Amino acid sequence: MGAASVADNLALLDRNAPLVESARARHARVARLAEAFGLELGGPDDRVDTLPVGTRQRIEIAGALAGEPDVLILDEPTAVLSPDETAALFAALRKQADAGAAIVLITHRLAEVFSGADRLTLLARGKTVKQCLISETTAAEIGGLLIAGSGAEETEKEEREEEKIFLEGEEGREPFEGRRGDARRPGATRPSKNAARSAAGVAANNLEVRNFRAAGTPPKQELLSFSLSPGELLVLLAIDGNGADAIASAVAGLTPFTGEVRVGRAALPSSGDPLAFRAAGGAFVPADRREEGLVLDLDLAENLALPDPPGRFFLDRAAMQTHALERIVAFAVRAPSPSTRAGALSGGNQQKLVLARELARSPRLVVAVHPTRGLDLAASAAVRARLAEACAAGASVLVVTSDPDEAFDYRGGVRVVTRGALSGEVAGGTPPAALGRLMAGLGA
Amino acid sequence: MSVPRRVLVPAAAAAAALATLASLAVLADASPLEALRALALGSLGSRAAIGETLLRSTGIVLTAAGACLALRAGVLNIGLEGQFLAGAAAAAAVGPALAGMPLVARAAILLAAALAGALWVLPAAVLAAKRNVPEVLSTILLNLIAATAAGGLVRGALRDPAGDYPQSRALPDAVRLEPLFSGGRATAAVLVALLAVAVLAVLIAATPLGLKLRAVGLAPAAARAIGLADGRLKVLAFAGSGALAGLAGGLEVLGVTGRLYDPFAAGVGYTGLAAALLGQAQPVASAFAGLFFAALGAGSSAMQRDTGVPAALAALVPGVLVLAVLAARARAGRSGS
Repeated sequence: MGAASVADNLALLDRNAPLVESARARHARVARLAEAFGLELGGPDDRVDTLPVGTRQRIEIAGALAGEPDVLILDEPTAVLSPDETAALFAALRKQADAGAAIVLITHRLAEVFSGADRLTLLARGKTVKQCLISETTAAEIGGLLIAGSGAEETEKEEREEEKIFLEGEEGREPFEGRRGDARRPGATRPSKNAARSAAGVAANNLEVRNFRAAGTPPKQELLSFSLSPGELLVLLAIDGNGADAIASAVAGLTPFTGEVRVGRAALPSSGDPLAFRAAGGAFVPADRREEGLVLDLDLAENLALPDPPGRFFLDRAAMQTHALERIVAFAVRAPSPSTRAGALSGGNQQKLVLARELARSPRLVVAVHPTRGLDLAASAAVRARLAEACAAGASVLVVTSDPDEAFDYRGGVRVVTRGALSGEVAGGTPPAALGRLMAGLGA
Repeated sequence: MSVPRRVLVPAAAAAAALATLASLAVLADASPLEALRALALGSLGSRAAIGETLLRSTGIVLTAAGACLALRAGVLNIGLEGQFLAGAAAAAAVGPALAGMPLVARAAILLAAALAGALWVLPAAVLAAKRNVPEVLSTILLNLIAATAAGGLVRGALRDPAGDYPQSRALPDAVRLEPLFSGGRATAAVLVALLAVAVLAVLIAATPLGLKLRAVGLAPAAARAIGLADGRLKVLAFAGSGALAGLAGGLEVLGVTGRLYDPFAAGVGYTGLAAALLGQAQPVASAFAGLFFAALGAGSSAMQRDTGVPAALAALVPGVLVLAVLAARARAGRSGS
């Protein structure tokens, strides 16, 4: 509850709290829980909505642990925690599991699985891929499976499923001493290979990102710097939840960021402004084409005419029709006519429609997030070909994907994002197991 | 399939609501058929009756148009009542001072009224855009402020010194609108309202601005990502919506009352919103819904006079109708049609 104090929130979350409790006892609880779980919880009288999101998450975790539950389910609890806090959290979880609690931990991060769990269930695209004891497997094996899962043939129905690892603590199993502690983070940001050139002349690059951090990532997050020159294509390869999507949306102006983002000569406002991104020559292919890419209840011609429909006083329907037909043919969108509702198209054709609109204005920079997710092989190849064409025409392209095979199909640079940090360029021949370890944050 | 259904649902709902009203007449010891007959004659049975229906429809049709504009851009303007009052107050304030050329005076009055309506919704629009204040709350609170302010004005700054009642000075007779046809009270105000509906329908369906507004209303996240100025477009829709409601208030003063008094609006803004919901935010369909509600209002007075069935029973109809249509639509949405 944002408008209440830390002490009051913890009193509400703690299911062992008495019905009536003095202010002093509530204050004492804050100190006791902070001490017991090694979590920084803020001052007892601080209003929760004035605290950073990480502290809020820690308060929720402390509140859940305070009640000493028999069953505890945690969904990505470490997203906003620092490595020290993650270690402390796992120590506390281990203690509760040893005391007889059953703990289910849902995480994208392989390192966490091997820092204290007893059993794991690996899910990929809604299916159980592996179930075993931690002692019977290795991080490399799971990393390989994770990659195989995400590279599997995707279908439209399953497009929203994400790979997740279920990690379970179990009653009565011995603790894994020495296994907790955070994984070494790979790929501290290196100066980009274009850094020297961009210092000489900013206008040389289509995208210039400096000391950048997307909003909502942990404050201790490393600052990113990279740049894209005309005709350059960079793939950010990451397991979902590692912040690659956040980088892309912040660059496209949809979410706030700190640091500096330049598209061409224009510096984008850090509050997030999609209009400024567009005005600077940016194009965006969002991950969720149905929510963010298209207006499903408008027809193809209308979607293709946005955001600047032709006509001074009245819509120039003839021009819209001609433009739509031309784009539909050029991008091989399979649709009965330009007046078909966008929502009536298949996923692949919707994606082609988004590309047809975004690439129509000869953009300087194209940001494409999971552009082939949920598409069949032919449609995926078509999407990649379109982005390559844009590249050949002088645009820079930034692609986010979670599929390693796909990443190398773009024939551009590939860098891995783990916990918001950017690796150096990954060579094309990197074996899947090593790539998996890199993506899972276990080091190369 | 979708077109017949769109017409069918409201029509069936209207018929059901009328049937319900007729059967409720039994409670008032009247024959249901007699009640319906009185209702029909009182709304459409004579020149006077038709005049009465058209007179009542002006405010409802215009506020319904305002509600449509807001709904299509994805915002909910519940403050039409307050914007109507603001428009009426502006008309009553500038009207008495204007003599001379009636046409110029009328135009000035309506312009002031539309402007006042737009200004009255602006706080809610800006708060929604900048601070995420829910417009449903802010516009409804502005209604209360408008009602109180109008009451204060007719007792204070705008009070007619010659009269005994709390009311503003009357507009000059030359400026006020003449009846449209003999035997009825309707004035050209209703033509202005229908013209506004036609303009709005064209604006939404056939202009670049209308397409942008629709995109924002249909898919706000996509509109933002595509690069539409969603915040600015919503404020614009709010202002347009308020201007239409303000225009309705100005026409009420210009064409019907000639002055402002207290209480003044009596729910016209809410009925307009109901008409827009019944018309599924389509300007022309909503205008028909508004005409239907106006006929109901005019007819129910006659029904009370002739059969003793309270007119208040007919006031139930818009509410019941809107609920029925919304329920039908929610059901259609669930079944995926």
